[in-house]
Amino acid sequence: MIVTATSVTRRYGTGEASVDALRGITVGFPAGQFTAIMGPSGSGKSTLMHILAGLDRPSAGSVVVDGTEIAGLDDGALTQLRRDKLGFIFQSFNLLPVLTAEENILLPLSIAGRDPDRAWIDQLIDTVGLRDRLRHRPAELSGGQQQRVAVARALAARPAVVFADEPTGNLDSTTSAEVLRLLRQAADEFGQTIVMVTHDPESAAVADRLIVLRDGLLAEDSAGTAVPATAPAPAGE
Amino acid sequence: MRKVALSGLLARKTRLALTALAVALGVTLISGTYIFTDTINRSFDRIFQVSLEKVDVVLTPDDDLGGEDRTTIPLDRALLRRVRAVPGVATAEGVINDPNGTVLGNDGKPVSKGPPTFIASLEGPAFRALEVVDGRLPRTDGEVILDKGTVDREGFALGREVAIQAAAPKTRLRLVGSTTIAGATSLGGATFAVMTLRDAQRLTGKVGRFDAIDVGAQEGADAGALVRRVKAIAGPGVVVRTGSQQAESQSADIRGGLSILSTALLAFAGISLFVGAFIIFNTFSITVAQRAREFALLRTLGATRRQVLRSVLGEGLTIGVLGSAAGLLLGVAVAKGLKALFSTLGVDLPSSGTVLLTRTVLVSMVVGVLVTLVSCLAPALRATRVPPVAALREGVAMPETRSSRLLTPLALVLTTLGVALLALGLFAGSGTNAALTLVGAGAALAFLGVALLSPRLVPPIAGAVGAPLERAFGLTGRLARENSVRQPGRTATTAAALMIGVALVCFASIFAAGAKQTIAKAVDSGLRGQLIVQNQSGFGAFTAAAGAAVRREPGVAIVSPVRGGQTRVTGVGGKSRLAGIDPASFQRVYHLRVRAGGERAVRDLQDGQVLVTQDFADEHGTRLGSRLRAATPRGRAVTWTVTGIIEDKAGLVGPLVVPNPTLRRAFGVTSDQLTLVAFRPGADPGALKARIDALLARDFPQAEALTAEQFKSAQRDQINQLLGLIYALLALSVIVSLFGIVNTLVLSITERTRELGMLRAIGTSRRQVKRMIRLEAVITALIGGILGLVLGVGLSVLVTRAIDDFNLAFPVPTLIAVLVASGVAGVLAAVLPARRAAGLDVLSALAHD
Repeated sequence: MIVTATSVTRRYGTGEASVDALRGITVGFPAGQFTAIMGPSGSGKSTLMHILAGLDRPSAGSVVVDGTEIAGLDDGALTQLRRDKLGFIFQSFNLLPVLTAEENILLPLSIAGRDPDRAWIDQLIDTVGLRDRLRHRPAELSGGQQQRVAVARALAARPAVVFADEPTGNLDSTTSAEVLRLLRQAADEFGQTIVMVTHDPESAAVADRLIVLRDGLLAEDSAGTAVPATAPAPAGE
Repeated sequence: MRKVALSGLLARKTRLALTALAVALGVTLISGTYIFTDTINRSFDRIFQVSLEKVDVVLTPDDDLGGEDRTTIPLDRALLRRVRAVPGVATAEGVINDPNGTVLGNDGKPVSKGPPTFIASLEGPAFRALEVVDGRLPRTDGEVILDKGTVDREGFALGREVAIQAAAPKTRLRLVGSTTIAGATSLGGATFAVMTLRDAQRLTGKVGRFDAIDVGAQEGADAGALVRRVKAIAGPGVVVRTGSQQAESQSADIRGGLSILSTALLAFAGISLFVGAFIIFNTFSITVAQRAREFALLRTLGATRRQVLRSVLGEGLTIGVLGSAAGLLLGVAVAKGLKALFSTLGVDLPSSGTVLLTRTVLVSMVVGVLVTLVSCLAPALRATRVPPVAALREGVAMPETRSSRLLTPLALVLTTLGVALLALGLFAGSGTNAALTLVGAGAALAFLGVALLSPRLVPPIAGAVGAPLERAFGLTGRLARENSVRQPGRTATTAAALMIGVALVCFASIFAAGAKQTIAKAVDSGLRGQLIVQNQSGFGAFTAAAGAAVRREPGVAIVSPVRGGQTRVTGVGGKSRLAGIDPASFQRVYHLRVRAGGERAVRDLQDGQVLVTQDFADEHGTRLGSRLRAATPRGRAVTWTVTGIIEDKAGLVGPLVVPNPTLRRAFGVTSDQLTLVAFRPGADPGALKARIDALLARDFPQAEALTAEQFKSAQRDQINQLLGLIYALLALSVIVSLFGIVNTLVLSITERTRELGMLRAIGTSRRQVKRMIRLEAVITALIGGILGLVLGVGLSVLVTRAIDDFNLAFPVPTLIAVLVASGVAGVLAAVLPARRAAGLDVLSALAHD
């Protein structure tokens, strides 16, 4: 397992106003698997992804990423973890407007101060089909091209796992399909572990495995390996 | 979401505070200056009123043309006799009140280096205003009473002897008491030594003569009528006033002296407000751009343009009022600070309670609010031009306005106009108020023009400055540079604010370096003697007896005194400095280059003849053979023929030079300003200087003998002291511009929150974020520093061209230090913004709209 969550709960606020976003989730993501997480608004799917990615902290439970328990890590260690082991794809692309497409792709490596593996980067650039767009800035690229840059950026440092948060949310159906094909290709050809949150069933259909969350609990898991959801009694009621 | 809203509010609070501070600091200096000078004026008013309370009529020599050392032609005993005979005069008494004394401390050194020491005679009980605090008044010759301030400062003990020197060699008097006037222990750091009339006359070299005659009227006599009757017998060159008129006149003198100081301080307040205006303009421009959607939404909901304008101006008004009020209050503290500053310089100014006049409140508030409103007017107008439909669009850009297309031509026109005005002020007029106003307005316009031009200059300078940072810090350096040029106009305005302060600092340092070098060169090339004897305070006169004593020292060949006075020349505005020399010896101790009239013009200078400097000649169209009509303090006029035109780089003699006997007869000047000394060939200079030092210390401690090197270094010290004061005052505007950098960074960070969130999410550490913000601030500050340096150099080249015989010198280490300091200032300005950027929560930053 590359990522494992055990009995993860997340509560926002305290007392009467508190909201339980996650009420006890246990799930694992094996290497090379492309998983889609679905669920209605407020089901906790984004919260789960944020916690798995070390961007948010669980109220209780454990999260292990590539052998490291991240629940107790400080900001510096979490930053190091994101740098070395995680890749991100956002709904709104989030490219740096002042950098060219190529510089955006290399950004995680530049931040980490690592020399890029040129062969790998070249392979990536060809895979996402941006060879003739490398010198362009994001403002000169279409939405689909920008998201392809973002995909390449997420893969550039060969992370243990890539988290994609509604990667097709801002794209039309044609470009959505391109981006999903790229993610599929990454899983198939590079053995990249991918966890994607989406509310679009067509996007989810590309994944190997589908997890559905409802009210902070695991409702379905197409892998069938999920531990039955054992919700603790809701506190404060 | 709540957290985001909260941090937004916090950002606004900081911005409000910083923007208000940009106004507040300038206003602080305005109100501080007013409070400071008003407080001092009121204290002196009271001191003069009390000291002249019992005097009905007072006669004094006309001091309009008193020497620079405040010397006047004393009144004589015959006049006192005539006054006593005037009907209605009950009592009349001659008094001494001479500002050229020196009291020696226990260490044998003069107690004061700046403020004057007055040698005064003890008035009779009818006129006396002294309050004895300790001990008693002097009863016989050989006794003295000193002001309590001096006694306390020096730790003098009653009953012990105190050494005093004026015109006569050092004399010892027994200290019998300490005194105050109108409760003031100190009079601006001035020292008062009060003794018997006979002692006072002897010490000041005025035996049988007086500095003033106090008159008491007979019971029921009208003071006004008495003044008229006394005037009738007093003759020219004597001023007759009632006691209260005299008090007012003395107050007016003090006011006049302080007004130079307050004008200078207000000029610095103006500079800092000018810089503040940039900050306010920039802050409003950025926030209006960021709130474009909000304005559009208001418009779709039915708000008129006028309402939008009013809402932005309302915010400006709030900031203006808050900032000005804060400045007004801070001014009280600053006034105290100024007093403390002056007392460390040895000028202990009296103050009795803080004086806050309505005028101070009005000027501070009106100026502060006006500056704020004017600065936010353009951004407010831009806010009204946001079309309502913008509310429905993503990522609204502010509409491009006509003015922004015309910006570059406008900037060029402003710069040219500024330089033209500057040149006009410098080369057309000279030193007059109108010319100075032209220079100031020209400089302000030029600054404004360059500021408007700077958006074009920002990318290349940022590129140059950023390149080494990029090499040193890699990606963070790269991003910092890119971010600084993302909105060149914004960076330019922020940098321009700093540019102004830096330009003025550079200008002052270059000007001072040039002045030092000019003096040094003139001394090196002009001085033929070995020593320059001067008043140990660096200015002011000292008794000619000192020179005479030095002359008697074996091994001394020549002693040539240089004296100083003032006159009004017909056709020349204001007063002119007048120097007296000993023509026979002067050229042997100092080489004055003669440009016209022949080398012998100096040696042959006689009564009725005058030498003028090239500057004076150029300015007033004076030629060889021209005749100048000069007013004397005796109320007469004398006519002199120009027999030589000289060059005086060191300003040793000044624009007009006459022989010493002329200065004595017509102007009553008998004391030396400088005494130039030449040794006999073969004399041991070291040993001789040591003997002269010992002689001066024993008999004339008021004077000191300096070698050329010592003289140059003393001059340098004086320039440096002034320069330090100017730096301190310019620091204020630099601080204001740093607030501007903080403000711009904070606002830019708010704009780029989501970007920062992404950077953090993909592994950027807090430290890297901080460094990126810091480098962005450094780049902005360095742009300001470089622009300021270039502008300061240009300005000083231009200004010094207007001065004849000025050696332009560039203090390269200082200029480099200024650049480095700009960079360091950038780091300081980035502390808060960097912390804020690094502290952003990754998730909420990513969700930021």
